[in-house]
Amino acid sequence: MSVFYENFERHSGGLGLKAHATHYCPGCGHGLVHKYLAEAIEELGIQDRTVAISPVGCSVFLYYYFDVGNSQAAHGRAPAVAIGHKLANPDSIVVSYQGDGDLASIGLAEIVSTAQLGIPITVIFVNNAIYGMTGGQMAPTTLMGQKSATSPYGRTAAMGLPMKMAELIAGLDGPVYVERVALYDAKQRIKAQKAITKAMKLQVENRGFAFVEVLAECPTHLGMTPEETEHWVKESMLPVFPLGVKKDVVVEPHGAVPAPSFDAERLVGLVGASAEKPPRFMKGFPEHLGGKDVALKLAGSGGDGAQTAAMLIARAAISEGFDATHIPSYGPESRGGTSYADVHVAEDEVLSPASPHPRILVAFNAPSLAKFAPDVVPGGTIVYDSSVIHDVPKVAEGVRLVGVPLTEIAVDLGKAMVKNVVALGALCAATGLFPEETFKTALRQALKDKCALIPLNEEAFAWGVKSVTAPGN
Amino acid sequence: MASPAPVRERPKPFLLDEFCKGCGRCIEACAKNCIEVGHEINPLTGLVPVVLNLDHCNACGLCMDACPEPYGLRPEAKPKASEDFELQDPAKLFGERASQRPKPVAIPPEIVPLPKTEPLVLKGNYAAAVGALLAGCRHVYGYPITPSTEGAELMAKLQPKLDGVFLQAVSEVATVNMMYGCGGAGLPCMTFTSSPGFSLMLEGISYMIGSEVPGVFVNVMRGGPGLGNIAPEQADVKLACRGLGHGNTHAITLAASTPQEMLDLARLSFELSFKYRNPVILLADGYLGQMTGKVVLPETMVKPGLPEWAVFGDAAHRGNLISSIYLDEKDLENFNVHLNEKYARMQAAEQRADLFLCDDAEVLVVSIGTPARMAKGAVEALRLQGVKAGLFRPVSVWPFPIDALKPLLPKARRIVVVEASAGQLEDELRLALSHAGLAVPKIESVRHMGGVLPQTGEVVKAVLSREEVTA
Ligand SMILES: Cc1ncc(C[n+]2csc(CCOP(=O)(O)OP(=O)(O)O)c2C)c(N)n1
Ligand code: SF4
Ligand code: SF4
Ligand code: SF4
Repeated sequence: MSVFYENFERHSGGLGLKAHATHYCPGCGHGLVHKYLAEAIEELGIQDRTVAISPVGCSVFLYYYFDVGNSQAAHGRAPAVAIGHKLANPDSIVVSYQGDGDLASIGLAEIVSTAQLGIPITVIFVNNAIYGMTGGQMAPTTLMGQKSATSPYGRTAAMGLPMKMAELIAGLDGPVYVERVALYDAKQRIKAQKAITKAMKLQVENRGFAFVEVLAECPTHLGMTPEETEHWVKESMLPVFPLGVKKDVVVEPHGAVPAPSFDAERLVGLVGASAEKPPRFMKGFPEHLGGKDVALKLAGSGGDGAQTAAMLIARAAISEGFDATHIPSYGPESRGGTSYADVHVAEDEVLSPASPHPRILVAFNAPSLAKFAPDVVPGGTIVYDSSVIHDVPKVAEGVRLVGVPLTEIAVDLGKAMVKNVVALGALCAATGLFPEETFKTALRQALKDKCALIPLNEEAFAWGVKSVTAPGN
Repeated sequence: MASPAPVRERPKPFLLDEFCKGCGRCIEACAKNCIEVGHEINPLTGLVPVVLNLDHCNACGLCMDACPEPYGLRPEAKPKASEDFELQDPAKLFGERASQRPKPVAIPPEIVPLPKTEPLVLKGNYAAAVGALLAGCRHVYGYPITPSTEGAELMAKLQPKLDGVFLQAVSEVATVNMMYGCGGAGLPCMTFTSSPGFSLMLEGISYMIGSEVPGVFVNVMRGGPGLGNIAPEQADVKLACRGLGHGNTHAITLAASTPQEMLDLARLSFELSFKYRNPVILLADGYLGQMTGKVVLPETMVKPGLPEWAVFGDAAHRGNLISSIYLDEKDLENFNVHLNEKYARMQAAEQRADLFLCDDAEVLVVSIGTPARMAKGAVEALRLQGVKAGLFRPVSVWPFPIDALKPLLPKARRIVVVEASAGQLEDELRLALSHAGLAVPKIESVRHMGGVLPQTGEVVKAVLSREEVTA
């Protein structure tokens, strides 16, 4: 059989007997399951495409024997590793080979979620009702009353009942084929071989996830001769783990998966980069605002649009060739709390992106104004929504307070949502941070996919400007 | 009567005593009682092989089907096994062997030019995602966790349009193992996570290191321990530099401090990850992940190749193995020696630091991530006040850029470490100084935790007052 290595080189260097004998105990079911898997690979002609994932457990050394691509996974994680391999090369045939401790215990989440995902992967599950490698401890599949190293008086209900994986997996929508087979006599062995071949074939045909549970013998830890274990599997395991097909649905093959794209133009377009130079309207940095770095804070409740307005300021600054940063407060606001944004605009490089002492504050509600107004530096400006804020807190000397009925204006315009753009207009007029054109260009840029909204926003912006510059203000 | 159907020539079983473990499964299988329990110990194996007496054998083959050994009971060789059979070569015994392991080949990556574009305005998390795309990453696995989630969200949006993969795993444990599979297949892959998620990935990272599998982890650190909060901290520095799961593990750990660097370092992470066949950790803090800033795209992008060691699932790489198990103690020691040599190469070649006004600095402020930006502001302010301050910003935290720090030490009378943790960066600094055989000067600190970040004014004050500020 060509799928087995001619020499088990990886087995102690493949010297002497190790070159041709497995590491399994005499009579262990793993050897038979290996043979069926090798035969299936051979029969389907997929040796070059197969990647076998070895688990943790006695079959950790599966890769000693199989002349296919091999990957050894952490305890229980083989199905996740299998997904990694399969999605890296959808043309590969990936087999996850696992014991009952590996699959039904530590890796339960991985097998269930992989099965439900339904991508074409084959899982061979060797259920010998016990942990082999670590010395015969209780497995999720250990029978009631069965003694093991960690159930020395026999398994009781307090330790949980035996886990029926084939039924559990068959109960999911993801898999296309689930069968439980056994190895205890010639008839069962033929069925086992057929089931494994079928599970592999379904992957070759790209139909879906297939799962074969094999009731296997672990003479060593069941403390019986191989022959006795065969009888034990038949007599004791079968009533708990009935054999047979648990699920077999005929589905159309999945379509071919296209190869990933490395097209530069496509990528650049997708990330929103463009060669188009944004127009510039500024002659120099607005140093009248106190130096080469202006700190702003915009605060309100979630939904006031503080973050969007903050982002527009950052965009506007960057298109003028300055550096800018925007940091949102986040977390609770997505559940309706307050939200604020720190913005910096700097001539060369923003150093500290936080604005504990802003030069400009935009406050959309009373708590925000109360909280942040005292931090505004002397010479600074506060724009607040006078439609909703009536009590104005004490501010530092030389801080200019500009009340604008942001909500009222926005509602009059027919869309309360644009109050943040009204605020931007007011901010523009009150501070001279950027020329009006700079803001408007940023607005148009941001709305380029929603052109219909541009006139409304421009109007809102104009109202904001007007409300500050109009006589009486 | 019709003539009897022609009897098919079927081979009878053949057993080489050495390959029989005496399990008796074949005995049970033979209805003709041709096989018996043996009584003689085979001196080579110490086991008792069965004894065949094929007088009544009808060559039904059931015994062979029952034998769990690949080279156990086999169909009789034709021509019959000769006397000069060699133990190591069953090919001679059982006929022609079909195939040999192919020699693995490497497909080199390609560098693809990018069109020139205007700067983007991007959030740190997005910038790292774009960096990964430019590095040729088309396989992203993840599990949502604030404040790293936007990275995964952008990947979910863009990968399908590039015929790449974004898969939301069932947990961080599954995530890292999908990466293990994908990296083992030889392709670039990554994830975005944050502190509690990173903790869960550590087992897998140890396996990746143990199997020499590349992969990039962006850890946008948040406040801990436990569930803590979602505000920025730098408290996973120790985990990344000293605690990558069990065993003798290290990975190059980079720390970004601007959205631009999120892109650039994400890209670099992939390169280093494949150069060394090792995971790479990119650290950011919750603030940086959320921070929007100016980002300039590079001039090129990468179309990945396929390394010769990959287990891709094709003929060219069939003989490969990804595994971290070495049962023989000597083998595992040798492997760890190999890893240590690799770590030493990383330490020699991959130290990176960003120095700001350090040449004549008498006060060296050491900081990474967002606190480093605050610290930079402080250095500027201090210079205006006539204090010769400089910022030493490790870009690689592991390996710590000690070679760049060393020449600054004679002038620097003071070192002030500014960090959003209880001294994890300082520990790295101290270890690096100590390993380099340098006297450890008095180290002052400005520290905060829980999401409170050191502020510029505070750093200035700390330097001027010569007092430590600790939370
Ligand atoms: C994370 C982790 N926990 C525990 C172990 C120890 N361990 C190794 S094999 C094994 C049991 C494997 O049993 P099973 O999957 O039934 O396979 P078998 O040995 O029976 O073939 C355990 C618990 C491990 N390797 N990794
Ligand atoms: S311990 Fe059990 S499962 Fe493991 S090799 Fe021995 S018989 Fe097989
Ligand atoms: S081939 Fe059939 S009859 Fe002959 S020894 Fe094997 S099981 Fe018995
Ligand atoms: S089944 Fe194979 S290993 Fe077991 S006794 Fe028979 S020949 Fe020997």
